[in-house]
Amino acid sequence: VMAADCAVETWTEFGFLGTSVTPKVRFGTDVFICTGSDEVYVFSTHERRLKASDWFSEHLTNCPLIYTFIKYLSLNRTFHFCSSQSAPPESSSSPTELKISSEFLVIEADGVSSLLLVGSVLLTLCQTDSSWLMTLYKTPEQTQSSSYEVLGSFSLPLVSAVVQDDTESKGGRRRSSVLICVHSGDTAPSTVPHGHFRLEPVLFKLLFGVEAALAKSPVIVCGLPDGRLCFLPLRLPGSRLRVLHSLEQPVVFVGASVVMETGPGHAQCLVAVGGQGRVVLIKTEKGGPEDGSSLAGFTEVCVSGPVECGCVDHNCLYYSTEAALHSPTSLNVCRVVALAEPTCNTAGQVQLLGLSVRGKLQRISLPVRRKEAGLSKQVGRSVRDLLSAIGDVCERASVLKTAIKSKNQILKHLNQVVNISFLLTATANTEDHLPMKEKPIRCHAMTSWSRLLQKDSLNLACVLENSSLYVLERGWTLSITVVPLCCSSTAGEESSSTNFLFPFQHLHPGETLEVSLPIAAAGDSSFPLTVNCSLIFSLSSLLGEEGAASCPGWQSNISLPLNTLTVDWLHALHLNNPTARHKMVTFQSSSITTDPIQAFISSRQIRRSRGADRGGESWLLSESSGGVKMGHQGDKVAVSSSVVHAHGPNGATVKLTAKENTEKDERLTAAEVQVESSSVAAVCGLHHAVLMLTLSELTSCSRLHLCQQIQQSQISGAFGVGMTTGQTSPSLLNVYQELRQNPLLII
Amino acid sequence: MAPPLSLLDTWVQENNELVNKCKQKGEQDAVSRDCSQPPLKWFSFEFHKLLRKIQGIPPNADHTQLELAVVFNAGVCSAAQSQVSEAELFLAQATERVLQMTGGDAGASDPLVRWRTVLNSVGDTALHPSVLYLLCLQWAIWLATCQLKTIQEFQEMSALFDTLCGGIGDGSVSEARPKSSNIPLLVMDPRRLIELLQICTSIALGAERLNEGRSSEALSSLQAASALPAPRALVAYTHLLSGSCLTHMRRPQMALQCYRKALETDSRCVCALYQSMLIYRQLGNTQAEIQALRLLHSTLMLPSAIEPALGSTHLLSPSLLLRSQSLSSLLSVPSALTVLHSLALKCVLYGRVSEGVEHYLDLLAVVHSEDQQGLHTEDATLPKLPELYLEAGAALLMARRPADCLALCNEVNSTTLELLPEKVVLEEPEERREAETRDMEGENSLAMVLWTAAAYLLQGHCHSHLKDWKQAVTHYTRCINLLVKVRFKKRDFQPQIPGADMDVKRGKDLCVLERLKGLSLAGRGICFIQIDKLKEALRDLQLGLQTFPECVGAGLWCGEVLWRLRRRREAAACWEKTWSLTTQSLDKSLPVYLQEPQSGPLLDSTELRHRIQELGPT
Repeated sequence: VMAADCAVETWTEFGFLGTSVTPKVRFGTDVFICTGSDEVYVFSTHERRLKASDWFSEHLTNCPLIYTFIKYLSLNRTFHFCSSQSAPPESSSSPTELKISSEFLVIEADGVSSLLLVGSVLLTLCQTDSSWLMTLYKTPEQTQSSSYEVLGSFSLPLVSAVVQDDTESKGGRRRSSVLICVHSGDTAPSTVPHGHFRLEPVLFKLLFGVEAALAKSPVIVCGLPDGRLCFLPLRLPGSRLRVLHSLEQPVVFVGASVVMETGPGHAQCLVAVGGQGRVVLIKTEKGGPEDGSSLAGFTEVCVSGPVECGCVDHNCLYYSTEAALHSPTSLNVCRVVALAEPTCNTAGQVQLLGLSVRGKLQRISLPVRRKEAGLSKQVGRSVRDLLSAIGDVCERASVLKTAIKSKNQILKHLNQVVNISFLLTATANTEDHLPMKEKPIRCHAMTSWSRLLQKDSLNLACVLENSSLYVLERGWTLSITVVPLCCSSTAGEESSSTNFLFPFQHLHPGETLEVSLPIAAAGDSSFPLTVNCSLIFSLSSLLGEEGAASCPGWQSNISLPLNTLTVDWLHALHLNNPTARHKMVTFQSSSITTDPIQAFISSRQIRRSRGADRGGESWLLSESSGGVKMGHQGDKVAVSSSVVHAHGPNGATVKLTAKENTEKDERLTAAEVQVESSSVAAVCGLHHAVLMLTLSELTSCSRLHLCQQIQQSQISGAFGVGMTTGQTSPSLLNVYQELRQNPLLII
Repeated sequence: MAPPLSLLDTWVQENNELVNKCKQKGEQDAVSRDCSQPPLKWFSFEFHKLLRKIQGIPPNADHTQLELAVVFNAGVCSAAQSQVSEAELFLAQATERVLQMTGGDAGASDPLVRWRTVLNSVGDTALHPSVLYLLCLQWAIWLATCQLKTIQEFQEMSALFDTLCGGIGDGSVSEARPKSSNIPLLVMDPRRLIELLQICTSIALGAERLNEGRSSEALSSLQAASALPAPRALVAYTHLLSGSCLTHMRRPQMALQCYRKALETDSRCVCALYQSMLIYRQLGNTQAEIQALRLLHSTLMLPSAIEPALGSTHLLSPSLLLRSQSLSSLLSVPSALTVLHSLALKCVLYGRVSEGVEHYLDLLAVVHSEDQQGLHTEDATLPKLPELYLEAGAALLMARRPADCLALCNEVNSTTLELLPEKVVLEEPEERREAETRDMEGENSLAMVLWTAAAYLLQGHCHSHLKDWKQAVTHYTRCINLLVKVRFKKRDFQPQIPGADMDVKRGKDLCVLERLKGLSLAGRGICFIQIDKLKEALRDLQLGLQTFPECVGAGLWCGEVLWRLRRRREAAACWEKTWSLTTQSLDKSLPVYLQEPQSGPLLDSTELRHRIQELGPT
């Protein structure tokens, strides 16, 4: 691969580009830069500076190339001539202006998009409402009068302007048309002016017809913004504008080049470049063996667009995209918006003149093309050029790398998220069949009373445990919703659900996250409470705010329910213990919670059933079923007896007595739990809590032998809990009586 | 009462200043094309501005005369820029305001009814002439938009204008009265406008009737119109259209008289020349036709011919008022280049070969000149450029300039050289293919083969003329070799409709192909005789006669070969058969380069008859 770097020499800076019209550059002895506004800059290549305004009157008459160029500007507008009065461009003072009076106005025409001088004929191409109009004027050198006589005009109907609108909206730069003149190689002189090309005669005949060749007529080729490539034999009776080809994208450049072979001076190939990078090469192709005649072959090649401008020399097409100048490998020159025709200096170096989008006029010297494609010495290249080129490349490369990296990161992250979602939803689906199977990511909680500012409050310490294989990464939030159980049944009350959100950064497998939240104050008796735990993932954390907002169809959050905990009266009991606070742990097994007391009951039963009785005094210290540890450290003294004195959350004094009863049958163990309180609400609440606990313990031990009374009590108990907020009422009394008459009996 | 009066005065003054400036511009435009004067657009804008000021207050009897004058001025300026709808809007507003003032019923939407209402409501008051001027403008708009029916329906118009021109119309408003400052001026003299409108209406109506085939009706009205006072160009048009009517009525001599009158009235009336030429052609008067063509061409080449003959006044010009399709088709004249080609061809076909050659060379010079003059026409009647070259070459050979002919043919051959196909299929019937290729406009390869073959044929003729038999044989052979590449393929069209019509249509390309084959075989055969290769000669001549039996040269020379081969009876029969053919000197339907050459070696028919007599009866 040949190194395609080139030396760039910045001649001057303008810093004013960004106009709506494509700038143009012409390279003669002086450089003319038309920025598309009303200004033309003249840059002297010898003096390396912008020249003074008197240039204009000196040179206007004897330089047809510039003449066309200037005239282009002077069509139907006032013309300003700018120069920086012999000062170097860096310290340029305000430019002097030269107004061109109306006597310089040669043609009054609206919307001239390009023009060309062919001999004594001036051609203009303009877009009218319904068609493209090419008008031929006779220049006054030939005629005696000073006016431009119209010789004729040709029109081509417009096609639907879809392509055009597209480009117009994009960047707002109005694409102009391209006009060139093609001569047959055997008729034209060996040197042709700017915008003229000599084409190989056979190709000329194939493309433009025998008649044009016979008439030795130059042919005008124009590229339109709608993508059409049209031609008009200039000197042919009754000729019309005809379409040669369509690029289907705005034509940016049309030229002729030798390209393939080194022919004798005339181009073998007509090249058209479209704005989106489509390059059409038109050249002669030999027909098949049956049909020996030649054909015009159209070869389409795509380069990475969008192409800003282009030019050709003997055998190379140079084009500039928004990013870089190419020929056909990248030349590492950024964003050239206008190019002048390439020239060769004495050393055989190809030199291009470019105007960059930032208004830099640059001379770009291409490396000398070598026959051998090995490592070229690149003698004359300066270190600075190399460094700047490297810097340029490095910068672009690093930007690309970062982008790829962050995309990969996001994909990895998303993969984790999807895995976790599957894990959690899968366990949710199978929950019905395997009620006891625990989710790998779940919560358990512990209640505790705390005293702050003379006020007691019940706190819930909730622990999120990640026992899955996946990392919970940035973007996840633990959401805990606390809802009173009775809330749903009494719709009249205001919704008393409370939601807590805890965003967290990383939770690796095996790690836990503990959060603490207040769930009730002293005097609050809306127990039991349901605690719903869920994980929320927000996409915006992954894509950023605007990234998520740009996909309106998306729900930017994924919510995955974990498990539900219940905090009931037993958890809310405030033990009368002077030394330590009573702590209770809520178990998350099927939403049934236990406290030391219940734990005692159940463990007692289990031990009994296993024949491993250790005595009643250890009831409140025993472990519960399911292997879940109780948060009961340090409370041994307080709960060492079979009687517990406590306060309910509503302040009522509660006495819990547990008794073991093994009367008739060794195998039939009965435990009696007695709840004593002056508050009906407390009794009902505790009754319900004990029932629920017992039920859950029995379920987990597969010993579902509950007598009917228990069922009854449960129902009425639940009823009683529902009414705890109310004062003593006949119904409550009834319940209480019922409770007394039907002591718990678990078989 | 003082303020409104002074306001009126300032408006009148403003209007008059504008009118004077506008008239000045008109005079200056006539002298020189100076662009320093403000354009018509500007006047139109200024009048409109003034009008809006005046119409800003409710209709007022004191102001109405001024208002109507400004409406007229603004409307004329708009119409002169072809902004007819704008002018119509001015008129509609003006009539509405007049009706508001006079209390007439403004409800009518039909323009005819509305104008009648306005005229009635104004009655014989001082406003009457002003309203009539506006009606003039309306008439002009109707004419410009080809609403001839409306004009015809408005019967009372002409009567009204007669009174305007005669009675009141002694310039009371604009001209005759001393120019007191409070009389609003008009940009165009209404009497001139009426004159213009009357003749233009007659011309447009005449053209319309002529188009509808009502020639005699058109003729009488046109002849009446020719007496109207009008610009010469328009009077010439009436004569011209009368001539066209007479042509339709099959009275060519009278038509010619009319065309002559048209030309006498206006020497730039090229259409009259063209129509005369067509009549001469129809009458078969070739010399006169050529004369007319020559005149027509030189008239077309005059610089004045490019300028419209009608554009005289800078405001409403006749060309603006005469826009009907039927008229423009009647007035169309082919381009100078086409005329030159017709002239050259006619000269060559009718014995003025040297003159024809000069015209052909002129034609080619025009094509090759840097000067673009006259090339850009929408004229499709001119043959393709290679055919022009071949025609010119044939003409040169007829004029005994074989070297020049060779050069031209070389041009054609070198151009087509690389593009010739190895094989080309000629399909019959070829109507469809022709339609396709005409659409494409690209050269089809068949045409290219035929052009090149014709060029070789002409080169063979040239060498034969120069008695360079070897070269002649080479070129004839090239021609034959090229022609055999064309394969004829008959499409499966219905065989039950063969008819004569089909035969005529039967491919021009095929006809040309066979002609070329026959002529080149005959030419080679004749050359072989000259170098004493009698067997080859006989073969070629017989093959040539097969493809092109009417070829006189081939028939006679075939007899000659037979004679020399001592098959004298056959020779005599061959000669007799050839003489019995109806000999046309030149077939006009085919290109001139496909005619039998008159320049090669010839046989003396009387000598041949002697030989037959000597042979004696069988």
